[in-house]
Amino acid sequence: MDIAGAISLVESSRVADAIRNSLYLFPLIESAHVLGLTMVFGTIAIIDLRLLGIASTRRSFRRIASDVLKWTWAAFALSVVTGSLMFITNANVYYHNFFFRAKMALLLLAGINMLIFEVTAARSVHRWDNDVKAPLAGRTAAALSLVLWIAIIFLGRWTGFTTTGRPHVNNEPADDINIENLLPK
Amino acid sequence: MLDVAQFADWLSRTSLSVSIQSHEWVIPTIQSIHIAAIGVVMASVFMIDLRVLGWAGRDQSLLETTGRFGPWLSGALCVLLGTGIFMIIGEPARELLAFSFWLKMLLIAIGTLIASVFQIALKRNEPYWEKSLHRWSVKSLAIVTFLIWVGIIILGRLIAYDNVWGSWSHAVRA
Repeated sequence: MDIAGAISLVESSRVADAIRNSLYLFPLIESAHVLGLTMVFGTIAIIDLRLLGIASTRRSFRRIASDVLKWTWAAFALSVVTGSLMFITNANVYYHNFFFRAKMALLLLAGINMLIFEVTAARSVHRWDNDVKAPLAGRTAAALSLVLWIAIIFLGRWTGFTTTGRPHVNNEPADDINIENLLPK
Repeated sequence: MLDVAQFADWLSRTSLSVSIQSHEWVIPTIQSIHIAAIGVVMASVFMIDLRVLGWAGRDQSLLETTGRFGPWLSGALCVLLGTGIFMIIGEPARELLAFSFWLKMLLIAIGTLIASVFQIALKRNEPYWEKSLHRWSVKSLAIVTFLIWVGIIILGRLIAYDNVWGSWSHAVRA
């Protein structure tokens, strides 16, 4: 099956239908998405600021990572599940939305950035674990991570603004009134 | 008597409000900064609560933990206040007539009060609080505090869907 078929299939699923037909489900799923993404960003920022030598510098990197990362992954899982549920309610529109696509691309880049960190700076963590700053490779990954995640937040908000048909202030003059339409037929 | 709807109407005609409304990129930009700052608040509250519960940072004293996260929490709250006021000026009726907005303000007042009182009390009598961490009442306060901030996030998002409150919402009729 091609991608367009898959998109239409998920959009017509019973789950998508149930969310669309409920007054409460979409707002609550979106709220859970905001909870998930703020926890992802906030906990990743703790790690990144440690690598950059800006905050938590008196604790070892590994201690902070073991305190924080499991919650980052839990929050990320919540974001993925709630994000997918929002996606299927209007899959065709999201799939073709520029901001949504850019967001997915940056999520991928954030993942690649993390993998590069794991195979470079993280390999020698025993040597810099207690240093105020991580080596250059670690600091670069941290700065990139902060920029990427802030950009992901912006693109997510823009996705919402460009897909929900938010009412705009209409400054255009009303159509001319045709007297025949006002008369009873 | 001050009428909120009249105030919102007046605010929406001010030059700052009009210029925010006429640039479509302003509101989503401010909202994105607002959400990033919520991330800093949530993570800071969460790490302090985890320390109280003994689930993280046990190599650090409670005071060291609030010393690490307290300033970021206050700083981010200031950013939220600033961006929040900006959003009210930009869309007065959407915010001020929403039931979710006023319930959110109430929870923010409670959440900020708990955080401030706790930090002041901790600085005044650190040994007492370090010894009280095993207490059931202190642990439940940590959990309740986190849930208050979760509630603030939900209510913040519900401002955009205020009709979920039915007749409690005035935004529906605005």
